[in-house]
Amino acid sequence: MNLAFKEIKKNKVRFLILGSIVFLVSLLTFIISGLANGLSQDNASLIKDLPEGQFYMNPEAEETYNLSRIDSGIQEKLINDYQGATALSIQMGFLNDQNDKQQSVVFVTSTESEIFSNVKEGEILLDRSMEEKGIKVGDRLTNPQFSGEFIVKGFVDQTKFSHAAVAFINMENYKEIYRVNDMQLVFIPKENAPEEITGLQSFSKQEFLKTIPSYKAEQMTLNMIVWFLVVISGMLFAIFFYMMNVQKIGLYGILKAIGLKTSRLFTMMWTQMIVITITSLALSIAISQGFNIIAPEGMPFSLTFNTTLILSGVFLVIGFIGTTIASLQIRKIEPLQAIQQGEI
Amino acid sequence: MSLFAINKVKKTFSNGELKEEILKGVDLTLREGEITALVGASGSGKSTLLTIAAGLQSASDGEVLFEGKNISAMNQEKIREIRAKEFGFIFQFAHLVPFLTVEEQLMLMLDVSETKLKKEQQKREVENILQLVGMEHRKQAYPSSLSGGEKQRVAIARAIIHKPKVLFADEPTASLDSKRSKDVMALIRDITKNLNITTLIVTHDEEMLSYADHIIKMSDGVIMQD
Ligand SMILES: Nc1ncnc2c1ncn2[C@@H]1O[C@H](COP(=O)(O)OP(=O)(O)OP(=O)(O)O)[C@@H](O)[C@H]1O
Ligand SMILES: [Mg+2]
Repeated sequence: MNLAFKEIKKNKVRFLILGSIVFLVSLLTFIISGLANGLSQDNASLIKDLPEGQFYMNPEAEETYNLSRIDSGIQEKLINDYQGATALSIQMGFLNDQNDKQQSVVFVTSTESEIFSNVKEGEILLDRSMEEKGIKVGDRLTNPQFSGEFIVKGFVDQTKFSHAAVAFINMENYKEIYRVNDMQLVFIPKENAPEEITGLQSFSKQEFLKTIPSYKAEQMTLNMIVWFLVVISGMLFAIFFYMMNVQKIGLYGILKAIGLKTSRLFTMMWTQMIVITITSLALSIAISQGFNIIAPEGMPFSLTFNTTLILSGVFLVIGFIGTTIASLQIRKIEPLQAIQQGEI
Repeated sequence: MSLFAINKVKKTFSNGELKEEILKGVDLTLREGEITALVGASGSGKSTLLTIAAGLQSASDGEVLFEGKNISAMNQEKIREIRAKEFGFIFQFAHLVPFLTVEEQLMLMLDVSETKLKKEQQKREVENILQLVGMEHRKQAYPSSLSGGEKQRVAIARAIIHKPKVLFADEPTASLDSKRSKDVMALIRDITKNLNITTLIVTHDEEMLSYADHIIKMSDGVIMQD
């Protein structure tokens, strides 16, 4: 006889309430972490979406990428020696559109590369978000430091840096705008990246992200928000499952008195907890993934299925712990205590 | 060897610093197949003795002998097994499982006592016992929809469906009116006689004593006389 399901069937409302709490709290966590992750994508998707690899900059730059200069001789050598090595530069700037409206962008340029978009002189590739600002393929954009015009060649998805849209331009044009000859960074994909290059400081992708001042501060705040939420909602789960079971001490006492094995009581509690949690989580995973799709354009929301699964796993474990703590108490109770509590 | 006996059982409760000896060395042997009634003033230790006898709490000292084995020296799992298979209990309140129907309560008891019966036979057994307590028409009812007397009859059915060797009852009629009390006592007597169950019953009610074969009196933690 399956006591766990019999009880759920008889006390639908009670279990429904518990389930909806699990559902709402987990949905809240999923949505908030989707928003936080979206913001972080918005801040650095240019870098975050790169394959794993090493960034190299000049140690004299003291970990500030836009102060770094890679000597052109070294750059040449690296590109020749390591397959996939790319020299690049990233710099804030702006473009004037055809109505002379200023648009902030981040200019990115690189040597020939499979990872970064390359364009010919006078051409430009923009992040998709610029499309919403009314810019179309074929538009001509200008910059006061640039003698010519950029013709919009197309748009690329999810390429932002420091909350601004990335604009890929040709290296010659870049050199003209910023009046520089050297690139700031060299990127080498992980499989080809050497441990060390003499005279250069090496950064993994994560380490490089941390050198971007705005990214680091913002990421800490966002992580804090998500983890606080996870911890608090986790505790809420544990407490709810604990309370639910402690409330039923009288019932468990009777079941023990008539001779039910403690292991069977545990199984009953765990089954109920797992059934409720999994159903509620499944629902909130479905809804948050749905939200992922219908989230309004321009609202940074990014929730991968993986993240949802990890969070769900955390909740499941925490619910399990709450139930187990309660069940340890129930193991201790003497059936007599329940009987003396009077009628239930 | 007697089926069930209690030897020099003591029970001390400690209330903080204060230690109170509630049972002061109780000796008692149940007569097989008979109903023994335990009477005495409130607070004299009857319920304490009964629950120790039934393995629901442990004695501070002394022996509880079931079929010659001292159950107070056994581990929790052994005691549970004896409770599930060999003992039955009825308390002042029915203590039914609120989310099970009358039929399911009894099926659960057969399950717990590991009665080796097929599903069909189990159902028939439940049917029989419900007929015996006059509750077959409420087979599908949940406890919340039963009257006090009806609940108690279901509790009696649950206490005996697995054919225990010993039945313990603590004021089983206390929550019932006098007519229902008599019905329930008569029922307990008939069933235990039929199934040859040895019974220990605690009662306050003078009227109920006529259903017992044998009366013992307790006072202040000791047995007064047979
Ligand atoms: N768990 C406990 N902790 C402390 N004292 C207890 C405990 N259980 C019972 N007592 C005390 O033991 C004494 C005997 O209690 P018991 O319930 O056995 O009496 P009783 O004879 O059944 O009384 P009644 O006829 O009123 O049911 C009482 O004074 C009671 O307060
Ligand atoms: Mg009592």
